[in-house]
Amino acid sequence: MEIEEVFSSKPRMKILRLVARLGALNVSDIARRINLNYSTTNQHLKLLEAEGILQQRVYGRVRMYRFNDRSPKAIAVQNLIETWEQNK
Amino acid sequence: MTPYRSVFKDESKLDINYVPRRLPHREKEHRLLMEFFNFLLQFPERMTQRVIITGEVGTGKTSLAQRFGADITLEANKRGVNFRYVHVNCREYRGKLFLILQHAVSVFRPNFPKRGYSAEEALETLMQSLDEENAYMILALDEFDTLIEQEGSESVYKLTRLQEMRPGKPQRISLISILRDLKSTEKLDASARSTLQRNVISLKRYPKDQLVDILNDRVAMAFEPSTVPEDVVDLVAELAVSESGNARFAIELLWRAGKYADAEDLDLVAAECVRKAVSSITPTLRRSELASLGFHEKLFLLGAARVFKGSQGTYASLPEIEEGYAVVCEEFGEQPHSHTQLWKYVQLFSALGILKAEVTATGTRGRSTRVSLPSVPASELEKELSAALEKR
Repeated sequence: MEIEEVFSSKPRMKILRLVARLGALNVSDIARRINLNYSTTNQHLKLLEAEGILQQRVYGRVRMYRFNDRSPKAIAVQNLIETWEQNK
Repeated sequence: MTPYRSVFKDESKLDINYVPRRLPHREKEHRLLMEFFNFLLQFPERMTQRVIITGEVGTGKTSLAQRFGADITLEANKRGVNFRYVHVNCREYRGKLFLILQHAVSVFRPNFPKRGYSAEEALETLMQSLDEENAYMILALDEFDTLIEQEGSESVYKLTRLQEMRPGKPQRISLISILRDLKSTEKLDASARSTLQRNVISLKRYPKDQLVDILNDRVAMAFEPSTVPEDVVDLVAELAVSESGNARFAIELLWRAGKYADAEDLDLVAAECVRKAVSSITPTLRRSELASLGFHEKLFLLGAARVFKGSQGTYASLPEIEEGYAVVCEEFGEQPHSHTQLWKYVQLFSALGILKAEVTATGTRGRSTRVSLPSVPASELEKELSAALEKR
């Protein structure tokens, strides 16, 4: 997927900011915090995972998403968000 | 307006949750804990440990565990071991294993959901998180008896036999169970009990001299220099001994006494402040008890109350009190009773817990009686007695 497609979605940017601020979160929690329904949130998360920016960890019935520590893209996105927040 | 002054330097050092760097008279037990968990510093993945700490209220169980927890965490981290000490008060979590484990999980996964899974899943999550981070943990279960009562043998068994479910994997969780009395573990079935009771550290009540050491440490940390006289520390320790050597009670009493001193704008904590503090914690002065006293008994006690109120000291000699009684008798137009009778009164009030009499040997010639008013403020006692005598 091209970069403009990944970042052109407001919910996706909200998800990335949220995970950058709070660390690992489960799907329902993310949906509630960005005020979106579960299935749409889930689709956005899957896309971000497929792009290698987020990664999923499964604990029994709970799925938690966080930045993929091994992905250079994830590191770049985290840096971008951090710089952005600091220079608002 | 005069600037606010206080006898306190740092009253947070008297807070119930404050754990001092040094725990006087618990050094041996601290060393023992270090010995039990020494493996965590060398080969943490190879074994786990289970320790029980027992002792009555205020014998330092929680402080000992927390001090040890902080010390071993520091030591383990220095050696590059990813180690966490997690202290949970089971009562706070209503003795529910699920809530206790959820708290432990939240240490590693702060945003982990609060519901929608079982205690078993919480335990699995905890183990998985520890594996992911290659971390080790001591889970200290304070007020462990609440967990036993609520969940019974099954939960304890699960906690102690974790490793059997995952053979070949590194061992991750050690346990410290903290409870007042080992009797509560009798409710557990034999297999659960046997997995728990390998190492028991039982803490004895603090005798007076040890309480004095503990109090002196706290006085140095929490109070301005020379604001707490030695005999006041002694009095607080004495009172704590009668509360079965409860150090927590002693420290709280010291704090309250300091507060009374501040409220009255005193330069130091007087014995009277301690008496006020103790009566605010445990109401020892019962009006019905006073009402049932004989006339001269009331006069004698009033005399004693006035002596303590006037001197602000902790102790008074028997002749001093007899003199105070004689003055009261004069006031009420009564002939004072004899010394022998007064000695009986002292015995009576000691039995009632209002006065405390100690016979002290002074040098080579004879003995003298030292009387203290340990738990009732002299001013309050005087007020109550005056009111009772007026009614007559």
